[in-house]
Amino acid sequence: MTRRTLLAGAAAWPLSAAPGLPFQLSDVTASAGIQFRHNSGAYGAKYLPETLGPGCAFFDYDCDGWLDILLVNGTSWPGHTDRSTMRLYRNNRNGTFTDVTAGAGLAVEMYGMGVAIGDYNNDGFPDLLVTAVGQNRLFRNNGRGRFLDVTEKAGLGGRSAFSTSALWFDFDRDGFLDLLVCNYVKWSAAHDVFCSVDGKRKSYCTPEAYHGETCWLFRNRGDGTFEDVTAKSGIFDSTSKSLGVALLDYDRDGWPDLLIANDTQPNKLYRNLRNGTFEDVAVRAAVAFSEDGRARAGMGVDAADFDNSGIEGIAVTNFDNEMMALYRLGRDGTYSDAATAAGIGPASRSSLGFGCAFLDLDLDGRLDLVAVNGHIDETVRHIRGNVGYAQSPHLFLNAGNGTFRDVAAEAGGGFATPKVARGLAFGDYDRDGSPDLLLTTNQGPAFLYRNRQLSGNRGLRLHLTGTKSNRDAIGALARVFTPDGAQSRRVKSGSSYLSQSELTLTFGLGKRDSASRLVIEWPSGATQEFSHVKAGAYHCIEGRALTAE
Amino acid sequence: MSTYRSPTFRLLAGLSVTLTAVALYSGYTIAQLRGLERLQTGIVDRNRADSLLLLRIQNDLNSLGLTMRDMLDGSEPYRITAWRGQTRRIRTDLEDGLAREAAVSPLGRTSEQRTYLTDSMRQFWDALDRVFALSQNGQEAEACNLIRLSLQARQQALSTTVSRLLVQNNESEQQAAARIRQVYAGVTNNVYLFLAAMLVLILLTSVYLVHYNRRIFDEVAVLSARRSELAQQLISLQENSFASISRDLHDDFGQILTAVGAMLQRAGRHPSASDTLRTDLREVQEIVQATLDKVRMLSHALHPVVLDEIGFEGALEQYLPVFERQTGIEVRYRKTGEARELDHAVSIHLYRVLQEALNNIVRHSHARVAEVRIHYLPEAVVLEVEDQGIGFSNDPASGMGLVSMRERASLVSGRLELENGASGGARVRLTVPVAAQDVHA
Repeated sequence: MTRRTLLAGAAAWPLSAAPGLPFQLSDVTASAGIQFRHNSGAYGAKYLPETLGPGCAFFDYDCDGWLDILLVNGTSWPGHTDRSTMRLYRNNRNGTFTDVTAGAGLAVEMYGMGVAIGDYNNDGFPDLLVTAVGQNRLFRNNGRGRFLDVTEKAGLGGRSAFSTSALWFDFDRDGFLDLLVCNYVKWSAAHDVFCSVDGKRKSYCTPEAYHGETCWLFRNRGDGTFEDVTAKSGIFDSTSKSLGVALLDYDRDGWPDLLIANDTQPNKLYRNLRNGTFEDVAVRAAVAFSEDGRARAGMGVDAADFDNSGIEGIAVTNFDNEMMALYRLGRDGTYSDAATAAGIGPASRSSLGFGCAFLDLDLDGRLDLVAVNGHIDETVRHIRGNVGYAQSPHLFLNAGNGTFRDVAAEAGGGFATPKVARGLAFGDYDRDGSPDLLLTTNQGPAFLYRNRQLSGNRGLRLHLTGTKSNRDAIGALARVFTPDGAQSRRVKSGSSYLSQSELTLTFGLGKRDSASRLVIEWPSGATQEFSHVKAGAYHCIEGRALTAE
Repeated sequence: MSTYRSPTFRLLAGLSVTLTAVALYSGYTIAQLRGLERLQTGIVDRNRADSLLLLRIQNDLNSLGLTMRDMLDGSEPYRITAWRGQTRRIRTDLEDGLAREAAVSPLGRTSEQRTYLTDSMRQFWDALDRVFALSQNGQEAEACNLIRLSLQARQQALSTTVSRLLVQNNESEQQAAARIRQVYAGVTNNVYLFLAAMLVLILLTSVYLVHYNRRIFDEVAVLSARRSELAQQLISLQENSFASISRDLHDDFGQILTAVGAMLQRAGRHPSASDTLRTDLREVQEIVQATLDKVRMLSHALHPVVLDEIGFEGALEQYLPVFERQTGIEVRYRKTGEARELDHAVSIHLYRVLQEALNNIVRHSHARVAEVRIHYLPEAVVLEVEDQGIGFSNDPASGMGLVSMRERASLVSGRLELENGASGGARVRLTVPVAAQDVHA
């Protein structure tokens, strides 16, 4: 434990009392043994990628039932010696973690940005796609605690770009996970552009200074190799400057669609046409632009049934003075931005948001929204007085009446302490039934926040394993019915920003001890239904009964 | 009294003129506003809407330009067909923009211009389709050549055309703005004219009303003076008549009745008269005496001879005990200053005012005590009659008695004040200046 983390932990204790909230966060980074510092490689050249990383992930790499942690890292630019790699922390099942990076074969130097976890070869062990500035890397999990770099073998080699978020999904429903990689702009150190605020010193450029770059879609052939179908599928768009991607079923036809958040360019909503191609319907669906017709600086994105209407809404984090977007889908297939009415807009006006995720922090059956913030420019306070470089994260508690309340300052654990945050993931690492939070900061530490229920709310956790569907069941939709209503949650990779949350679904049951019905719609098209499911953790293998975990 | 024509007709005529002017001006303003509205919707708004759509079209054309640049720069590992989706999106927006633009294009747009734009666009899409077809067939180099030789030139020509249309719109918008400014200037001038005309009308009406009012007031003053003169003549006539009747009663009937009384007394003393006769004569004598007393009283009432004989003060001192006896109201009399002889006319009017004031006390005040004060001041004589009754009502000046008092005061150039005293009772004060005491007869 460093002196800094010890002090931070000690300072956080008095704040951890959170009267009125049914849950409590505590900063357990230090006690969990996570000692990480992001290396953006910044040395004064002000290269654009320095401002945007890194991502993080909760996943169970050794399949022992306990979530492990991956923290992506950048590295120094050529000619500079401060080397660094991503970090893999194995869960010791007692609240602490052990750094197993080297043993797992992940001490690979690369300018890492984000991560997407998915069992692309359906062998039961989660594999790793780490996006980077340069060559992205695909690491296959050999099931014995090691990852093998199969980038070239899988056909993903020879592709250099400024990649950001990525997402695994089975767009052709063949049972194998395909890969969507977001790319930001055409950038390389050799072709860096000089931008300046004061006309003398170099500062970070805004994305307008660079050409856009298309996202990539790689189809999994099922034999461990991928085919680039970017052009063929209609995903290709050389104007995009993509940072975040979320999986959703916009038209509710059972085929996965994609929402891609673009920075200063219109967002894209790729509707799956079920024939291997996609159609961008973002303008028609009114998510391309803000309500006043501007392309905002979209960063992170998540899609979920936050109002328990059975229809997935969308949250997008944007630049400061642009407000977050909270889209609700209308009957006519168009979204409307309800951020202002929901109270999220005004609260996020001066925040520059990155990672965002819908999750049920208090297990009351309503999805809350966490968004982490931090500016890209250290000198921002000189330019805009109301905006800081380090910014408080938002923790919007869902009131259930269409409005949200930011309770970050009451959540405890120093959660609201300003940070230059980027990545955000959630997962129940301590298996107490409540989703915990993992944050990364730019050129700073990572934060692990343990979530503890105070009011006795219970949850139903569901770990799905596909047989006919992809093994991770990514794209599966589960519905839980209680006398209070129905909740629907989707198994998804991607979402947030550069990060990956656990694939296990959490349903809040409040004070109830069971759900009357549980319906699972598998990506293969199969549906399963269970009655009277008690609170607790379950595993469901496609086509088989529920088993307690 | 001269007669004047009523101003109503003239005022009504003025009002009609004003209303007609307002109506005419309102009509003019509405017509101007409608003209402005037509100008605005017909040219300015339409131009603005068209310019916005032209900007949208220009933006799409620029996107096409950038897309073609990306197609040619060879940085993507994909065939040119990869851009099919991207160009389709731009085409959808462009065609929508062109259709909307055609609907709102300014009235001055020629059909040649419209045809040129649609034909050029169609040719562009045809060429783009050929580019994709070549790429589809693996002829990437030919496709790139076609972009360079044909598509980029067409895109630039289209972009120039749209720019010219935007310039045209700007020019006609500027012309419309100049016309609008003219209309505004015209309307502003007319507003000033209208305001000036209204001011002149208001001024004329005011002058007319002031002039007419002044004439009315003069007339009223003359009428008032005449009425006052008449009243004073009436009072003088009454006093003269009363004095004459009083003298007759006192001198003639008094002498006769005194003589009759003396004769009856003498007859009663005659030795031949029987006791019965004597008794009858005594009774007749008493009746004669009573008649004489009444005649004297009547004579005194009509014109207090004592005024002529012993002056105002003496008359006052005789009258007040009689008043007390007759009415039961206690009178407290006080005199200040050095008494002096008053003019006869002044005396009679002072005496009458005093009588009237005391009679008013009997009739209205419900008072049991009255105070009479006479002050001989160097410059005036002041008579005050005050009671401790209920005082004057809100309008003490009404009633014939008070009118008569006022006129009498006026006859002696005096000032009559009617007010409530400190105790709340009524107070009548008559001030007669010294100068007046020798003037009025």
